[in-house]
Formats: sequence, structure tokens, C-alpha cells
Amino acid sequence: MIQLSNIEKVYRTKTIETTALNHINLNINKGEFVAIMGPSGCGKSTLLNIMGLLDTPTAGSIEIANQPVTSLSRKRLATFRNLKLGFIFQSYHLINDLSVIDNVELPLLYRKGISGAERRKRALVALEKVGLSARTKHYPNQLSGGQRQRVAIARAIIGNPEILLADEPTGNLDSAMGEEVMNLMLHLNKIDGTTIVMVTHDEHMAKKTQRIIHFFDGQQVS
Amino acid sequence: MLRKKYYTALTLVGISLTLMVITVFASFLDQIVSANPPEIHRERTLILDKVSVYKGDKKTDAAPSISFLQKNIRNLQSTETISYFTTREFISFLNGKTAGHILKFTDENFWKITDFEFLEGKPFNIIDVRKGARVAVISEKTKAYFFKDGAALGKTLPMHGIAYQVIGVVKPATPFSRIYSDVYVPYTTDVNTQRTEKALEGTYNALLLAKTDDLKKVRAELRGILKKANLVSGADSVKVHAFTALEQFAKSSSFNDDEPEYGKTAIVISIVLVLFMLIPAISLVNINVTRIGERAEEIGIRKSFGATSGTLVGQLVTENIIITLIGGLIGLGLSVYASQLLVQFINTFDPLFKMPTDSFIISWRVFGFCLFSCLLLGLVSGIYPAWKMSRMDVVYALKGGNSL
Repeated sequence: MIQLSNIEKVYRTKTIETTALNHINLNINKGEFVAIMGPSGCGKSTLLNIMGLLDTPTAGSIEIANQPVTSLSRKRLATFRNLKLGFIFQSYHLINDLSVIDNVELPLLYRKGISGAERRKRALVALEKVGLSARTKHYPNQLSGGQRQRVAIARAIIGNPEILLADEPTGNLDSAMGEEVMNLMLHLNKIDGTTIVMVTHDEHMAKKTQRIIHFFDGQQVS
Repeated sequence: MLRKKYYTALTLVGISLTLMVITVFASFLDQIVSANPPEIHRERTLILDKVSVYKGDKKTDAAPSISFLQKNIRNLQSTETISYFTTREFISFLNGKTAGHILKFTDENFWKITDFEFLEGKPFNIIDVRKGARVAVISEKTKAYFFKDGAALGKTLPMHGIAYQVIGVVKPATPFSRIYSDVYVPYTTDVNTQRTEKALEGTYNALLLAKTDDLKKVRAELRGILKKANLVSGADSVKVHAFTALEQFAKSSSFNDDEPEYGKTAIVISIVLVLFMLIPAISLVNINVTRIGERAEEIGIRKSFGATSGTLVGQLVTENIIITLIGGLIGLGLSVYASQLLVQFINTFDPLFKMPTDSFIISWRVFGFCLFSCLLLGLVSGIYPAWKMSRMDVVYALKGGNSL
């Protein structure tokens, strides 16, 4: 589903050159739930951003859903992200001025041919899936951390993406809420067959996935 | 817009003040050059207000005399109607108050070239003019000043020691127009004609309503007539200056008293627009850069979920145009008060001859121009920050992108 070949990411300033990722070769299969672990600054999030086409590698190639994406234009990358990928961030990244339902609808705003009514209908279904159908009119700052992350999951899945990329989705949550969010992702993986790549520090959560990839100093160590 | 109240308020203040100034300026221009009632034929009405006599290296300019005009330009083939007028003043003492009024001496053709709305009565006719009837057409404001709410028709109005009978009341022309007056009377009652009018030089102007829009024909005919006539002994040549309101404006704005120079006029207008639009637009760009910059995270989120740069530019520019339009509407409202303040300020220079406070009229044309200015300002001040923001790196934007 995701194939990374010789991915390299180097940050350059006038004086310093920092290698964030060094020759990464990684293959993630369709329907797999993979956890990426490693210490802070080892390049986990950079890798996730590259997989999510939010960042570009310095070298190497990426193939997602059998499509080479490295040379796609910004516009086509945006469309590709919209259709194929869903994101869950550690700090939720909800738009505070939009209601819960408007936040969830967001990815469909950028998809052609979907009416407002259809968007609303699908947002309600997504919110139902994450157990937040009673909070549609609320605003993010009126919700708990766990609820916000569930809204973020609803937003990530509304467009039925084949891949979910989660960057420390339970990092800001207490253990109970973390479990709740993790169970939700496991459910999505099991029932909908969504491929999930999750960056985490939490070994307990990582153990619930099918495969754990360890990173250290920009390199895959296991 | 509501999420960043400080920046929105700052933007609205900037836009509304800019649009206020532009509206007052546009209203002024509209009234001095556009074909507005009662000057509905402005584009083919020439105002002949100056005669130049050339003798060797010397040039003498003067307003023409009534006799010169009547003798030389009475029968122009290229004109439909010709009217003569001069502007004087008179002072009134009413209820212990002193006020100055504009008085125009003119003829019956004046009412054919113009299209005054008569609220009461009628204009004076050829018979009134020929026999020097002491009749007057007054403006609505003059009526209100002298007769309050009572009837004016048939009443007398003393001017320069002569009592004139009011026969008509009209809606006033704009005070910025050459045909503006508080009172219009037949020129044959002008007691000062003998004293002020000489063979060539005098105090009169003529309105020439051309048959067609081809004003060159009129000017060519004028040149032809003046060439033939031996007007001033010893003079090499005599030239009359006849221009439309637009040409008159172009002359004064290009600082050329003889010929309109549209290039210079365009430069002057451009300078005004640069001062009143470009500088505020640059300030708005800066405000917008900061305002939009505050939304970096939102832009990062939208891009993550598939928004293209084009979509984001469209969204941000649309938001900016909405703010600009709201600011424009506030500016339009403010311009009414600003123009009244301006009139009051102008009136302090000459307390005797006060301009009406509603001298600046915001027509649909001015409104349309302001709407266009709003859109232009919205586009100009919104596109660059929006474009710059939309190009922002997604990961950087998601972190809140402190600056552009």
C-alpha cells in the first residue's frame, strides 16, 4: 500500500546539515496497522509527514496505492491527499471557529461533486462511528481532549481514505481516553480494512498493532 | 473575520477611511464633469469663457463682453442653441442676518440647454428677455431662505435695489457647476452692462450646445468667424476658448489655462489615486499578512485535507473582499458626513456665500465606482498575502507558522 524506497530527508541551513531520515526502505501492506516507535527527534514524524505527502523527501521515491507520487504537482498532491489519506494529529488540529460537524465535513469541501446535504449526512455517519453524534453543534473548545481526538478521527475517516496516518494520537490523552481512541482505530482497521500507520511513544499502544517499526537517529533499526 | 476582532476592526477602519475619501473625491468629479441633471448635455455643451488677443509677443486674456458674443457667435451653424450668462452676487439682510447669494443674468436659451426641474412656475421666455422684464427664477433653497414654507410665485425679491418678481422655482444645480446660481434673471435687466462691458472684454460667458458630439466642428467654425472679423485693431489674432466641463477640468488639473492636457490630468488623478488607494492598499496588505498569518494552523489543516493553493487563495481573497465591501459601505456612510464637514470647512473661508451642506451628491455612478474601488482594494490587498500564505509549507503551517 505504501512503498518507500531510499527515502532521505536532510535539513540544510547555511552552516548545519541535519539528516532526519537516512535511506529508509519501507513497505506497508494494505490493511496493515503499523506502529512506528523511537525516541524524540529520531525522524518518526518526518517519516509520517513524508508518507502523508505533507513533506517532500530530499531523495528517494514514494509509491502509494500503486501510484508513484514523488513527482506529482502540488495540486495533484492535494487531490491525492484528499482522496487517499486521512490524518490524526497529536494536538488534534481542529479549527476552533468551526463547529464539530463543520470540522468533520472539511475534507469533503475539497472534493468535487458532493452537495452540502451529502456532506452533512456523511459527517453525521462519521460522528456516529466515533460516538459523538450528540455533539455536532459544539465547538472544539467545549470538548474534552478525548472527544476532540474522536472528532479528528471522524474528520480523518469521512472521506473513506484507504490510509490513516496518526501522529501520536494518544499522546495528549490520559490512559482511559487513549484506550478509547486506540480501540476506535483498531475497529477501523479491523472492520473497514483501513491501513493505519501510527507514530507513538507508548509501547502499550504499539503492542496492539500488527507490526512495530523502530527508528533511531533517522534510521530504521527493526 | 470575527475571530480576529482587532485585525478586522483595524482593516475596517483603514478601508472605510480610504473609501470615504475616494467617495468624496469621486462625487466631486462626477458633479463637475458628468452629465447630471440639469446639465444633461454636458458632453456637447461648450462653455465659452475666455478671449485671447494676440499682439506681437503679447497675449491678453479676458472674459468676453455680451456685445462681442452677440455680434460674433450668434449664428453658428454647428450649434443647436447658444445662451449667454454672467455671474454676479447680491447680499441680503433678512431677520438681522446677512447672506450672500449668487445671481445669474442669462437669456431664454439657458433653459433650453439645461434641464432644470421646475418645482413651481416656469422659466422666463424671449419676450421677458427682450422687454427686460424684472422676473426671476429662484432655486428651491433660495425660496426656503426668503419665503420659508410660503408661496414664492408672484412675490418680489429685491436685488441690487431692483424688485424682481419670482416666476419659477427650480431644483438647484450642483454648486460645483458653472451654471449654479441662487437666482436667475434676464440679462437685459443687468444694469451694470454698460459699465462692465467693453467692445471685446467683459464679464459674460456663453453656453454653446453643439448639434452633434463632434465639437471640433464648433471650434473650427469659431476659428473661421474670428479670422474673418476684424475684431481688435492692431491685433494679430483673436482666439476664443470654448470647452466642455470635462475639458475645463482637464485644463485646470493639467495646470494649462489654454488647452486641456489629458496626459497631465491622468497623472494628477493617478497621483491622487496612489495617495488615496495604493498607500492604504499597502497598509492593508501588511495588516492582511499578519491577519492571515494568524491563521497559519488553519491553513495547514485545510491543506492537509486536500485544499489546493488556488482554493485557499480563493477563500482568503473572498473573505478579504467581504471585509472590504463592509468597510466600503461604512466608508460610503462616512462620506456623507465627511462631505458635510468639508463643506462646513470650506464655508469658514467665506461665511457670506455658504455652500449648501448637501453639495456632494452620491449618485449611482459614484456608488458603482466605490463598489468597484472596494473590489479592487479587496483584490489588491488580499491576493498577495493569500497567495503567500497558500504556498506555505504544510508542516510549518501546522506548527502555527509564526511568520510568512
